[in-house]
Amino acid sequence: MSGADLGIAALRVLAPVLAILIVLPMLQWVERRGAGLIQDRPGPNRVGPFGLLQPLADVVKFFMKEDLIPSNADRFLYVLAPGLAAFAAMTTFAVIPYGATLTAGGRVIPLVGADISIGILYLFALTSLSVYGIVLAGWSSNNKFSLIGGIRSSAQIISYELAMTTAAAGVVLSGGSFKLTDVVLQQGGSWLALPFHGWNVLPQFVGFVVFFVSAFAETNRLPFDLPEAEAELVAGYHTEYSAMKFAMFYMAEYINVVVASALTVTLYFGGWGLPGFHPTGIAGVLLSVVIFAVKVSILVWIFMWVRWTLPRFRYDQLMRIGWKALLPLALVNLFWVAALVLWKVL
Amino acid sequence: MTVRFAFDVAAGLAILFACVMVVHRHPVKSVLALVVSFFALAVTFVLLSAPLIAAIQVIVYAGAILVLFLFVLMLLNVPAEVRQTPGRPIHHTLSAGAIVAFAAALLAAFRSYGATAAPPAPAASDPADLAPLAKLLFSDHLLSFEALSILLLAALVGAFALARREGGP
Amino acid sequence: MTPNGIPLSDVLLASGALFSIGLAGALLRRNAISIFLALELMMNAANLAILGYASALHSLEGQIVVFFVIAIAAAEAAVGLAIFVALFRHTETIDVNKINLLKW
Repeated sequence: MSGADLGIAALRVLAPVLAILIVLPMLQWVERRGAGLIQDRPGPNRVGPFGLLQPLADVVKFFMKEDLIPSNADRFLYVLAPGLAAFAAMTTFAVIPYGATLTAGGRVIPLVGADISIGILYLFALTSLSVYGIVLAGWSSNNKFSLIGGIRSSAQIISYELAMTTAAAGVVLSGGSFKLTDVVLQQGGSWLALPFHGWNVLPQFVGFVVFFVSAFAETNRLPFDLPEAEAELVAGYHTEYSAMKFAMFYMAEYINVVVASALTVTLYFGGWGLPGFHPTGIAGVLLSVVIFAVKVSILVWIFMWVRWTLPRFRYDQLMRIGWKALLPLALVNLFWVAALVLWKVL
Repeated sequence: MTVRFAFDVAAGLAILFACVMVVHRHPVKSVLALVVSFFALAVTFVLLSAPLIAAIQVIVYAGAILVLFLFVLMLLNVPAEVRQTPGRPIHHTLSAGAIVAFAAALLAAFRSYGATAAPPAPAASDPADLAPLAKLLFSDHLLSFEALSILLLAALVGAFALARREGGP
Repeated sequence: MTPNGIPLSDVLLASGALFSIGLAGALLRRNAISIFLALELMMNAANLAILGYASALHSLEGQIVVFFVIAIAAAEAAVGLAIFVALFRHTETIDVNKINLLKW
């Protein structure tokens, strides 16, 4: 591989990660102002115009806080856990296509980090690994509340992972491929002709609902955030964490929200495409990236909107919904998609 | 950097962390070393043109089975093994001797294995394509697949029945 | 020789080494769960050997066998850990040297 090829490959992988890291403080600002809007109060408005420099103030606060490690905590695991959570969150973006394929200068550059043949499975593998960050954080803090919060949170993630993967299996079944680039391309066709080649949310609406609700549970967001609820278990698995380590958990949570939104957009809302839009030149590809960013932003706003609107579920209600409601619904969706494929509708 | 070098590095890491797993006295750290080892093994599986098996290894083995181990260890609060006073030295000597002899025999047998075996004609398909594997699984091995699902159901019911407290769920 | 240029002897050496380490762990640990972990390592060593051969002989059957082995190992781990949990409730220990009565 020549130097230019290597550079382009590195850029393909790093571009979305850098974009997310740069947008992260803005996401935090949007969340807090949005919370204020929904709760009929101003939100942060002291630091900078409209409180825009609030995230900067928060970063300074995180750097200045005392970084302590509890006395009987397992030092190695205690320091490793937030890093593991952040790592798992950031590497999930490697397989999500964020734009159309660019053909320039004799090179074909697909705008995705790595177009591997097991696309969706890679994402589920990383979700399984993120469980370790949480359960280790809970255990190594040497604190009963952290341990209970960690175990509850990881049990929640494992349970909802089932419903999520079964819903995604419906998309894989209709598309016939695990690769996310293929999934996006198959949603770029006509909405009116049979077989249907439009956005997957229409034929697989139940699957979309199951997937989106499971995404809330996977990212530990309200209404499924009992394991880190402030009033229940102090702060769950990140009770004993302060300063930069807590900031890493916080960051990992936001990145997980963005990744879950991006995955939902890719699987159900046509990714970077619009019906009948087949970009070729650079302008078209840039437009596809912008379309993708807009769709992801809408879903991220929905994540935040739900957080400040709904009350949280009790833990037994949460587990009951995951196993007794979402998993059967996802299976029903799978049968429905199989029937549609058999009747050549999809 | 050839594929062979990558395989050697990944397999070396797997072996290293497996040693850490066996030697470390705290069972939780032991499980974590095994997680890293299984992850390195998944990398070797990818290099051997089995990406689906690598994904399944990480999702099922490293991501579910070992998490189950961790849960049980944490909930039973299993302590670190205390190094025993020299009791039973003959046991240790004999088992260490047996293991070393077995390992030496295995490695001596494998060292030149397959160097002269002529492989059959290579298939023309792309190894990263998952469709042929799926076709094979759901046609020739359909009976085993369905039997496996019944096995998993039996394991689920059995584990639930064994682990619940007496006197109600 | 696999299609990727990995000699079969490399794969088998790695598999043999992992198997021996797993055997050592199973024989030398006193904790029942650690013994079980070493057993899982042995199963993975066998998986690696099967995949090495599948790759060298250009066969997909090996991958299917490994698929089944992983699923069966999952079922076995679930039941085995349930047994350990039930045992622990009765004997308050999982040191295999101390669990030496057929009936208590």
